[in-house]
Amino acid sequence: MAETKRKSRGEAKGRRGKPSKKQKKGTDTRERKGPRLPNALRKELERLNPVDEGFGSDEDQEEVYGRDLYEYEEELPEEESKKNRRYDPVENLEYQMPEEFEDENVSSDDDNDTRNAGEDGVEDEDEEDDDGRQRTTRITSEAFEGKKKKKNNVVISEAYPESEYNPTRDMLEGEGPVSIGDLLDPLHGVSGYSKLRKRIHHLEKKSVPTPAPLPKADQEKLERKAAYEKSKEELQKWEPIIKRNREAPTIYFDDDMDLGFSTVGAIASEFEPRTEFEKKIASLVYDDQVMEAHQKDGSRLLELNKVSAEDEKDRHNRMAKMRSLLFRHEMKSKHIKKIKSKTYHRLLKKDRLKASSTQSQMDPEAAKELAMKQEYERAKERMTLRHKGSSKWTKRIKERGIDVQDEGTRTAIAEQQHLHALLTRKMNSMKDGSSSSSDDSSDEDDVDVYSAGSDQARASKLLEKAKEKTLNLLDEDDEVPNSGVLSLPFMVRGFKKRNEAAAEEAKLALQEYESWSNQLEDSNGTDNAKLAPPSGRMVFNASKKEAPESSNKTKSDNKIRSDNYYGNSDSEDDFEPKENVDIREDRSSDLQNNGGINPVLLNKESKNHKDSLFKNFDDIVQDPGPKTTHDVSIFASGTWKKMKGGNNADANVNKPTRPLESVVLNQNLQEPVKDLDEDSDADSEGQMVDGVLTSDPKVESSYELPSQAEIIRQAFAADDVEDDFEKEKQEVLNEENPEPEKPVLLPGWGQWTHVQKKKGLPSWMLQEHESAKRMREETLKKRKDAHLKRVIISEKLDKKAEKLYTKSLPYPFTSKEVYEHSIRMPLGPEFNPATAVGALNRPEVMKKPGVIIKPIEFEEVNPYERIEEQTQSGKKQKKRNKSKSNSGKNGTKVKTKLKN
Amino acid sequence: MGVKQDDGSIMPTSEQEKISDELDIRVKKFLRGEKTNLEGLQDKKLKGQLAVREELFGKSAQAAAKAEKWLLPSEGGYLEAEGIEKTWRIKQESIAREIDILSARSQYDIVLPDLGPYTLDFTSSGRYMAAGGRKGHLAILDMKNMSLVKEIQVRETVRDVVFLHNELFFAAAQKKYPYIYNRDGTELHCLKEHGAVLRLQFLKNHFLLASINKSGQLRYQDVTMGGMVANYRTGLGRTDVMQVNPYNGVVALGHSLGTVSMWKPTSSTALLKRLCHKGPITAMAFHPNGHLMATAGKEKKIMLWDLRNLKDEPLQTLPGNADTLDFSQKGLLARSTSSFVQILTDSSGTQNYNNYMTHKIIKGYQVEKVLFRPYEDVLGIGHSMGWSSILIPGSGEPNFDSWVANPFETSKQRREKEVHSLLDKLPPETIMLNPTKIGTVKPQRRKEKKTKEEKEADMEAAVEAVKGIEPKKKTKGRNKPSKRTKKKQEIVANAKRPFLEQQKKEEEQVARKKQKVIEQVELPTSLQRFSRKKSAT
Repeated sequence: MAETKRKSRGEAKGRRGKPSKKQKKGTDTRERKGPRLPNALRKELERLNPVDEGFGSDEDQEEVYGRDLYEYEEELPEEESKKNRRYDPVENLEYQMPEEFEDENVSSDDDNDTRNAGEDGVEDEDEEDDDGRQRTTRITSEAFEGKKKKKNNVVISEAYPESEYNPTRDMLEGEGPVSIGDLLDPLHGVSGYSKLRKRIHHLEKKSVPTPAPLPKADQEKLERKAAYEKSKEELQKWEPIIKRNREAPTIYFDDDMDLGFSTVGAIASEFEPRTEFEKKIASLVYDDQVMEAHQKDGSRLLELNKVSAEDEKDRHNRMAKMRSLLFRHEMKSKHIKKIKSKTYHRLLKKDRLKASSTQSQMDPEAAKELAMKQEYERAKERMTLRHKGSSKWTKRIKERGIDVQDEGTRTAIAEQQHLHALLTRKMNSMKDGSSSSSDDSSDEDDVDVYSAGSDQARASKLLEKAKEKTLNLLDEDDEVPNSGVLSLPFMVRGFKKRNEAAAEEAKLALQEYESWSNQLEDSNGTDNAKLAPPSGRMVFNASKKEAPESSNKTKSDNKIRSDNYYGNSDSEDDFEPKENVDIREDRSSDLQNNGGINPVLLNKESKNHKDSLFKNFDDIVQDPGPKTTHDVSIFASGTWKKMKGGNNADANVNKPTRPLESVVLNQNLQEPVKDLDEDSDADSEGQMVDGVLTSDPKVESSYELPSQAEIIRQAFAADDVEDDFEKEKQEVLNEENPEPEKPVLLPGWGQWTHVQKKKGLPSWMLQEHESAKRMREETLKKRKDAHLKRVIISEKLDKKAEKLYTKSLPYPFTSKEVYEHSIRMPLGPEFNPATAVGALNRPEVMKKPGVIIKPIEFEEVNPYERIEEQTQSGKKQKKRNKSKSNSGKNGTKVKTKLKN
Repeated sequence: MGVKQDDGSIMPTSEQEKISDELDIRVKKFLRGEKTNLEGLQDKKLKGQLAVREELFGKSAQAAAKAEKWLLPSEGGYLEAEGIEKTWRIKQESIAREIDILSARSQYDIVLPDLGPYTLDFTSSGRYMAAGGRKGHLAILDMKNMSLVKEIQVRETVRDVVFLHNELFFAAAQKKYPYIYNRDGTELHCLKEHGAVLRLQFLKNHFLLASINKSGQLRYQDVTMGGMVANYRTGLGRTDVMQVNPYNGVVALGHSLGTVSMWKPTSSTALLKRLCHKGPITAMAFHPNGHLMATAGKEKKIMLWDLRNLKDEPLQTLPGNADTLDFSQKGLLARSTSSFVQILTDSSGTQNYNNYMTHKIIKGYQVEKVLFRPYEDVLGIGHSMGWSSILIPGSGEPNFDSWVANPFETSKQRREKEVHSLLDKLPPETIMLNPTKIGTVKPQRRKEKKTKEEKEADMEAAVEAVKGIEPKKKTKGRNKPSKRTKKKQEIVANAKRPFLEQQKKEEEQVARKKQKVIEQVELPTSLQRFSRKKSAT
């Protein structure tokens, strides 16, 4: 069927070749028709079929001849090719427009199709082609007759009139393909046309009708199959390599022996300085002088290495200082840790508080934090009312009456109340914590000027206070102690010096303050009245002053200390402990100072409360401070002394013991010597005994003639030996497999009358006995010595020796014999010649540490080649591997070439 | 005898064949058995691996054989008779005339009439000899310099002397106890536990000192740690015939009823008992390869037994008495009665021993012990008038392996070797009749009792098997579902029954046993006062 179809199409094309030539002319005049017959022919035809309209004739013919007549259809003239369109006259009209752009459309369609063809497969291409062409070009007629026929076998009546919304089947399915010939026609006359035609002709001769595409599943299956084949092929080429590797008893991975750096020196030589620091170091290290010195004998190195005595001394001093600092710090912390005094800790806490408050002044972050904390505290207090006086203790005291109490309790209660008041008081503003509170206090106390809170005023206030403080400091007389270390002349001198320096600094500071305050005054002159130097105790705004003052203080302290340290380092070592004490005293004075300041703080805080109370409190607080410190200092020194004393004592004790010990040792030494001597004496005595080779009279009577009875026994020994042995064997067997008991009938048991006696034993009993006997015999037959009369082989299993056997066959083995045979040969160097030991015990993989195992590389391997290298020594193997690696490189080269 | 050839000369083909044959024999020896049969193996990988292994083994054996053939420095000597001469007619004097001075030095008699009869022992290298006179004379001699290292008189009966692992220590079985002395004659240990020991043996590889005492107790003592490894009552009476099989470390005892029992330290019963002779056994010896045992009975027979292939009949029975027997390294067998010494050899290599040499010492001398000296063609004879040494050509191994035993050992080497041998010490459980079985699959144990789980599994399997059976379609009335279920249950119960019964029986047995024990323990109250209270042991 396909054949005929093809033929028909071919014929159609052959015929069409001529008309198409004239088409070019024809298209201008009669656009609606496709390829035409020559005019003469047409006239003839017209004469024969006197029909005016092409369409009408079409209809007639259709009716007359029917569609099934294939041959006749072939003969149809071109004009009537549209006969099947009798149902859709509208469509033709519709597609008039595209016809005009015939060439363009064709080409574009073609492009599309070819593009599609790549994706859809060869089979689809033609159909698509045809569809498109038929729709666009109006060539139709004979070219597609065959297909047309087929499609139009079924006439489907349309339910709706045809329109662009309801296209006909023709529209949807297309009508036969456009042949290549159709496309070629316009190319006629162009150079290379004949060539092209020939080729196409050639192609068409060969071409086979394209079958319908396979279902998708099948297609995919086939594709997968092909892909599998391909991948299999790809993988199979690796097989010999893999096989070789698997079969090789040992795989070597030491062909690439370049491990990069082998030594630290090599790594170091590669080093290049990059950073600034490294460069600096390098420039120093590779300094010409140094290098030269290295290259020579190195004696110059010594010169270069020289360090001046001063430097060394400096270094030494620094070290000493650091050490002593550290030590002191350690001692201090130790001793502080040990202090149990509540007051001390309270003071410490206050100190800390103060420090934090100063910090908060300096640092906005800290200030914020503090504010938050305070807020929290306040909230808490308002919630719990802890300090309101609702506690048991305060209640009791209140009951008793505050006046009756001693001063300590009174202060405590006052403080509590104060705290409560502080915490629960409504705040004006919570912008910044502590400063605001201080502001509040200042607001309360001071004049309205300050309430404005202008910065300038505050600054001036600060300055003023600082001034006061410095003045105070200047006024203060440092009491020079009359006794102790500090009374020593050089210490006194040092003290004075320090004082002078401090005074100078204070003066400078004062000057500065004045200059600043002047400036401030200039800026707002109205306020200067208030900035008059204050008198009496400074009570107000102490907190404001704190920061500079304390910082000053710490500075001075530090200075003093550092001075001291330098002094220490300069002075000789003997003084150290004393100086320690000295420093401690300094510290105690610090503490005192602190103690002095604390009340000030307190005062400031509780200005609105009774002054007397605080004075008392001050006293209380102030007293224990120095005391404790004093104690501590004593304690510290005491320990020192103690330690020293202890050491001395130890040394003293040690000294006398030593000789004693030595004496003892000597004694010990002497004793063994003596012992040895004695021993040797004894030995020599023994030897002496040895030397005496007299025979003992007792031993002599060892030889006796065998008695008559014994001789007789020996003579007849053979008679019963075998029987004895057999009996013994039986015994052994019975021991291992006891003989079953003979069934016995118990009289009166299991019998009603005398009936059973006649019957004998019950059959089951006999059966049981029989089976037991059989069992025993079987087991006895299984014994190794079953067929040996004169041999008893113990069947006992040795439990201790069980660990020498394997419980089960090791993995790859499946048969016991093979396994046991495979371990028959010893592998150790004691049993094998040196040439074989290595091969026998070579591990599966030979690899040097640090060697990177590279992925396998493809190489040609003859799969039928016998593996020879099994027992080859490492050298040969290596050689082979080298060649392998070379070949591998070649392979990569080729690959790259291919890629390029 | 040796084939000499110059470098240039081409060997005749016959020679080549001869050599290859010789090599083949040696290769066989070194292969230690036939190649593994890989035919039946399914696993290809394993097959390949084993094939490679076998090839390596073959190469190793080949190399070893070649080395042995060409590199060993000396060959064993032998006596060759010409014409009607017989080797056993050749006297020691005539041998002495033919040999070099050095060898001639080892022909001597030491006459010590007072403290006789002497028993002998050599160190494994053959360098040192210990001699123990019955009447208390102990001596150690350096056989190379022919010098006395030390001699002491213990003034007690000395029944046996044996060297421990090297010449530094030796043990002597004295009147009451065995003692261990060092080379200087200092008494190191008195092994009181052993009692009056008749015979001592030392197991070199296991560092065990084995002893049999008068009451027939066999003891093993570890000489490294000093622990008593084993103590077994043989129950076969007093014996002074004890020999260690050098191949596997099994101790064999010869008993008065003609049986030989073999023992190992980890089993309280004899591994093997065999009736060898009709009369009491007088002497026993093992071939160094461990496959051959020679026993002598009072009924004037010497028998050779194959130890690998146990049979009722001996390999060979030789006429004659033997008070003492010994195998040399090369497999010569020496036997001796009273003052007559005979050496037998299996010249054909088929374990068919025949007369090789004879030696007679002065009449009236009673031979106590004959012992071949290792690595020398020398036989030591301890007798009632001292000891003598005669030459037996071809008795000793001509080439020594310095890793095994070095006759020219320096003290440093000795120390080194001592450490090595201590490190290589074998635990006592490795002693077994066939030591090649070590490392093989554990022999299947005879199951006396199944465990509870196994029993349950069995029962379940039986029940499952029964459950699978589809019941017959019965007639209308009997095919009710109720009846069917009933039937099913019945079947299951039937299947279970035997198991349950067995279980019950076992339980009963256990209960009965318990009852018995209780009955034994508890006497009626009226009688209890008569029973003696047992001391808690």
